[in-house]
Amino acid sequence: MDCPIKTQQNKESLLDYSAGRLDRPQAGMVEEHVETCAECARFLAEQRAVWEALGAWEPAEISTDFNRRLYRKIDQAKPASWLNRLLWRPLVPLAAACLLIAASVALHTPTATAIPENSQAHAESVEPEQVERTLDDLQMLRELALTPSSEAKTPQPM
Amino acid sequence: MPQWVKEDMGASLALDCDAELMLQVKDGDTASFALLLDKYRVSLTHFLYRMVQDQPVAEELSQEVFLRVYKSRETYEPTAKFATWLYRIATHLALNWLRDGKNERGQARLDEVVEDGPSRELPDHAPSVEQRMVSRVKVDEVRRAVAALPAKQRAAVLMHKYEEMEYSQIAKILSCSESAVKSLLFRAYETLRVRLAHMA
Repeated sequence: MDCPIKTQQNKESLLDYSAGRLDRPQAGMVEEHVETCAECARFLAEQRAVWEALGAWEPAEISTDFNRRLYRKIDQAKPASWLNRLLWRPLVPLAAACLLIAASVALHTPTATAIPENSQAHAESVEPEQVERTLDDLQMLRELALTPSSEAKTPQPM
Repeated sequence: MPQWVKEDMGASLALDCDAELMLQVKDGDTASFALLLDKYRVSLTHFLYRMVQDQPVAEELSQEVFLRVYKSRETYEPTAKFATWLYRIATHLALNWLRDGKNERGQARLDEVVEDGPSRELPDHAPSVEQRMVSRVKVDEVRRAVAALPAKQRAAVLMHKYEEMEYSQIAKILSCSESAVKSLLFRAYETLRVRLAHMA
């Protein structure tokens, strides 16, 4: 086998050997060569050191709420239906609540200025009596007024 | 049968299975989406964490990836492996995040001692204080070395090392040729050998 260090392509086979990606015959050829080639042996030792150093780097564990956060983002990304869009508008439920309260207050509160149904009839039945009474009163006042003046016009005895 | 052949067959079967699940999501089956989420949530978030080196940002980006997958379900066509599509979105988001300079906070954290996975072990199984300190220093050195790589080289190394992806798949994700991927990887490992070889 030619020295792998001599060409770029052969260097790749050394990398593949380090990574354990060569099949058995190819790996055997590299091993055989390395026994007699100090340069390749050093290359392999260094590459193996890099490989092991990288292997020692273990990342941290993933957050336990990873999926929950993801599914929340997915839900937020979903286009809302027209009904949802309508219901999710913040002022609409507020307005609906106000309308309900106003309607219930209007239905259950008695009106202070309301006139009873029979009040008009009662007023109509009372009115002639009042008029009649008023006329009587006027007649009586007139008679009272006439009485003193007639006495005043009576000649005084000398 | 060689191990790599078995892995390749497994990947092929996974292709059909994941694409099939995504097609069911397309048909409105949210349970299939949950299965895909469970399958890729950890690996994808870890990939993004190693890209941006900031756990909250990595989780946000990961959620954005799954959100985009869900939103794209109606137009999904299984023209590539599902994982390729997924990591393509993730890499795109991570590269944009790094490019836009949003990583200032993350880079500042490289100077801090970060509580990574091993330090969260239960007390009964926890290594000694000295072992933990040595491990932490080593991990910190690895993190710095990876962070110093150009973003595309970083992505290529992470997919090659941790996701065990083939060159062809990395090429599709990074939208470049296989030879470009090999070149990216070779340069990246060359840099890492200089910085990390003493850790042998």
